[in-house]
Amino acid sequence: MLKAKNRLGIVFFPAYDWSLGPTHPEREERLLYTHDQLVEEGVFDIEGISEHKPDVAAREDVERTHFCFPEPEAVVTRSHMAAAGGAITAARLVMEGRTDRAFALVRPPGHHAMKSVHGTRGFCTINSEAVMVEWVRETYGRRRVAIVDTDCHHGDGTQDIYWHDPDTLFISLHQDGRTLYPGSGFPHELGGPKARGRTLNIPLPPNTSDEGFLHVIDNVVLPILDDFRPDLIINSAGQDNHFTDPITNMNFSARGYALMNERLAPHIAVLEGGYAIQGALPYVNLGIVLAMAGLDYAHVVEPDWDPERWRQTRQVGKYIEALCEELPKLYFKPPPDPRDTLAGNWHVRMKEIFYDTDGIQESQREMLYDCRKCRGTLKIETRSGRVPLSLGVEIPQDACPVCRAEGYRAFEEAQLKGSFRYVQLINRADKEYLRVGF
Amino acid sequence: MLLGIDVGGTHTDAVLIDDGGIRGSFKTPTDHADLLSSIRAALDWVAAEADAFDIERVNLSTTLTTNAIVEGTTEEVGLFVAGGPGIDPHTFQICRHFHVLSGATDHRGTAVRELSRAEIEAAAKACDADGVRSYAAVCKFSPRNPSMEQTIAEAIGSRADVVTLGHQLTGRLGFPRRMATAYFNSAVWRLFNEFSFAVELALRERGIRAKVNILKADGGTMPLAMARRIPVESILSGPAASVMGIISMCDIALDSLILDVGGTTTDIAVFAGGSPIMEPGGISIGSYPTLVRALLTTSIGVGGDSAVSMLGEQVFVGPRRKGPCMCAGGSHPALMDAFNVLGASRYGDVAASRAGMAELAAAHSLTPEFLAQKAVDAAVANIVAACRELVGQINARPVYTLHELLDGRRVVPKKIYLMGGPAEVMKMPLFRAFQLSVSVPRNFSVANAVGAALTRTTTGAELFADTEKRRMHVPTLGISKVIEPGYGLADAERDARRSLLGFLRQEGIPVREENLMMTHAESFNMVSDGVLSGRNIRVGCQIRPGILHRYKALLGRLC
Ligand SMILES: [Zn+2]
Ligand SMILES: [Zn+2]
Repeated sequence: MLKAKNRLGIVFFPAYDWSLGPTHPEREERLLYTHDQLVEEGVFDIEGISEHKPDVAAREDVERTHFCFPEPEAVVTRSHMAAAGGAITAARLVMEGRTDRAFALVRPPGHHAMKSVHGTRGFCTINSEAVMVEWVRETYGRRRVAIVDTDCHHGDGTQDIYWHDPDTLFISLHQDGRTLYPGSGFPHELGGPKARGRTLNIPLPPNTSDEGFLHVIDNVVLPILDDFRPDLIINSAGQDNHFTDPITNMNFSARGYALMNERLAPHIAVLEGGYAIQGALPYVNLGIVLAMAGLDYAHVVEPDWDPERWRQTRQVGKYIEALCEELPKLYFKPPPDPRDTLAGNWHVRMKEIFYDTDGIQESQREMLYDCRKCRGTLKIETRSGRVPLSLGVEIPQDACPVCRAEGYRAFEEAQLKGSFRYVQLINRADKEYLRVGF
Repeated sequence: MLLGIDVGGTHTDAVLIDDGGIRGSFKTPTDHADLLSSIRAALDWVAAEADAFDIERVNLSTTLTTNAIVEGTTEEVGLFVAGGPGIDPHTFQICRHFHVLSGATDHRGTAVRELSRAEIEAAAKACDADGVRSYAAVCKFSPRNPSMEQTIAEAIGSRADVVTLGHQLTGRLGFPRRMATAYFNSAVWRLFNEFSFAVELALRERGIRAKVNILKADGGTMPLAMARRIPVESILSGPAASVMGIISMCDIALDSLILDVGGTTTDIAVFAGGSPIMEPGGISIGSYPTLVRALLTTSIGVGGDSAVSMLGEQVFVGPRRKGPCMCAGGSHPALMDAFNVLGASRYGDVAASRAGMAELAAAHSLTPEFLAQKAVDAAVANIVAACRELVGQINARPVYTLHELLDGRRVVPKKIYLMGGPAEVMKMPLFRAFQLSVSVPRNFSVANAVGAALTRTTTGAELFADTEKRRMHVPTLGISKVIEPGYGLADAERDARRSLLGFLRQEGIPVREENLMMTHAESFNMVSDGVLSGRNIRVGCQIRPGILHRYKALLGRLC
């Protein structure tokens, strides 16, 4: 009889009654064949593998992570609360020691959702991994977390949320932004002034195959994880690098995904994208499940897999090798940001964000208090076609007294002046979440 | 008149029931070496008690198949499997003649790798040379496309007396479970068939011409003719018989716990939403999970003979039994002795109970009454904890739609039905612990036979339709039809219903349409290249377990 080497909790929630549209990739059918495959394989009968119903995230879970304008209820549907809640359930299993690993097989995805949320972009509204990580930190205190995003698209939302957080290492492997949505994720994007090198982007050329991905894992990701010594490793397990994916151009296989997962050994994996729902997802998810449980996945081979046909060219291999020579330096010795501008005591960054799913354009002025004692209070002034000028203020966990005072002052001044339509305060130091403007 | 016979682990019980209620009951020790002799004894009692001509139905619950598996007296089986992508089927090798063939069917039911005739032939030759006569063929995703299993059966041909095909057992998925279920089915097939002929002969000899039904673990019955094809369904039907007995004696409406407190164990079942709660996948036979549907029951080591022991200050009851309780001639104080000491019961040799409890109490400087009370408290606490855990597990079962996740119904027991030897004395302590009304049905000592007698035939069917492939299947009924592209959920529900009713009529099973319920009905849009290419439809329906319609009037009157 099979017995898992690692106890694995699977939070499987396919949301069979929810879609973004009848023929939209994010539709009811998305996890149907994955479900069939997992049940037919008898995965949930394997000793050490357990299936769990997701918790539903609470408003507070969203509010401690995101600035939602005008308010969470206006942008977040029940399915997002179930997906983020499923990620929290996965984290709870691991944090409480009930399982060694956990896999949140939930939809819709979340890694394109940024700190400030006006709507849905890249099928994502709230960031499931970030909501989960902040739940862990709220419940268990400050934790060093590494998020390795292996979705084919740049995890621009997760990058944005953790841009200024030195406790979170965010590494994204993705198809080069010059050839794919969302068009970002270049090596020079390394994190804010207090967290330089804590964001690392690894853009890969189209047609990268198993060999290329595993080369990056072995030569870039694993040495950096070793150095960072995270308390928790999280894998944003998007599956759109698969050779059958309809919207991307990579040559990755189910066995490649399993091998990659085995080497990363994440505590928690969360499903992100992946829309080859018949040809890829059943096999990739099975491969990931078996790898996480420490079981043999050698027979997880797609019926139409032909390694010769999908082998990357020598040119692609050379390009990746050269990239892997340079990238670790950016983590170990990150160069200062030439665009960093200090206005008074605040580092200022201007951002334009496009919500492709909802057709919204958001403009932001982001300000980080230049503090030597802590990571600094954050302010985001934001407006879009949907939301008049509004403000979000975040006082970080373990904020110094100065940053705490700066945060409160910004929140109170905004209310007195009345120049902002909505104002939200995330006070992680005192676990206080306030919003005004209704 | 109905005859219910339950061949149990210790006793064989029989009851005769007519419109007026229980007409008589009979109990005899079960002869494990010769189950048939126990049945004959029951039939002799029937012959003396009633006119054989009046008996219209004989329902039988037997440990025959269970015992054969536990004792390892089953037949060798040639199990032929085809896996394809996924977990290596060799991992699930269940028997010696286990042959993995190289064919594969995917989740849509598309053959992605053909079977090799030469491989099947070689495997069949090897089995044949070893004298194997019983076979089973199981392919991954066979409920979506049974053709590979059929091909294997044809290739084995007359070398087999029986070939169990995985898709004929159930339309539900679970390849390892299907392998185990098909294997066990073929392993007990001959034994069960021989037994069933002997039973029919014994009935005929006594002039009983009634239809014979066999009890299943899901609390329903199947006609003997069907049981001969799928004898594996007769396994582990004992607990279901008792639960169905309580359900047929008492008119249960609210969510309830059903507790059967025996000598060494307490069995717990849950009734909710109008029927008993089922195992999610199927029952486990030894360490092998199967696809045999079963009532969900859990068993804990607390019963009348459970030993009372102490570790430091702590008083324990069970899980071990050190012989019978002292009032029944045992040498170690047990739970029943504690009730005797407390004056709650006067069972057997009360003085022996007092002496035994006093000795154990004195060794820990306690009074016998104090120890007895602690023992009863411990037993009750164990039962309460097990019930809470079971209900918790039921409420934590995974669901797959937002509707179920956010608006799903929770099971909250409102009432307790209690049976078994210590039932009367356990009633008050359990009432105090649960703060729920506790009923002890009058005739609980023959609940198993009553359950066997009164329960109706259950069966189910699963339908899969794929409008892109233009095909509809009901695997267990052997139905496969071409469908129109416009085939929808309503068509599928109608076809599932009709198929099941048609099958039941053909088998001569009287069925009332109102007992047929849909278990699930889902239709998914399939999309290729951004446009709708078809619908993937899954529908299930079943006759759920319950009491025979003609005897509905008895509900509540036997309680
Ligand atoms: Zn993606
Ligand atoms: Zn500070």
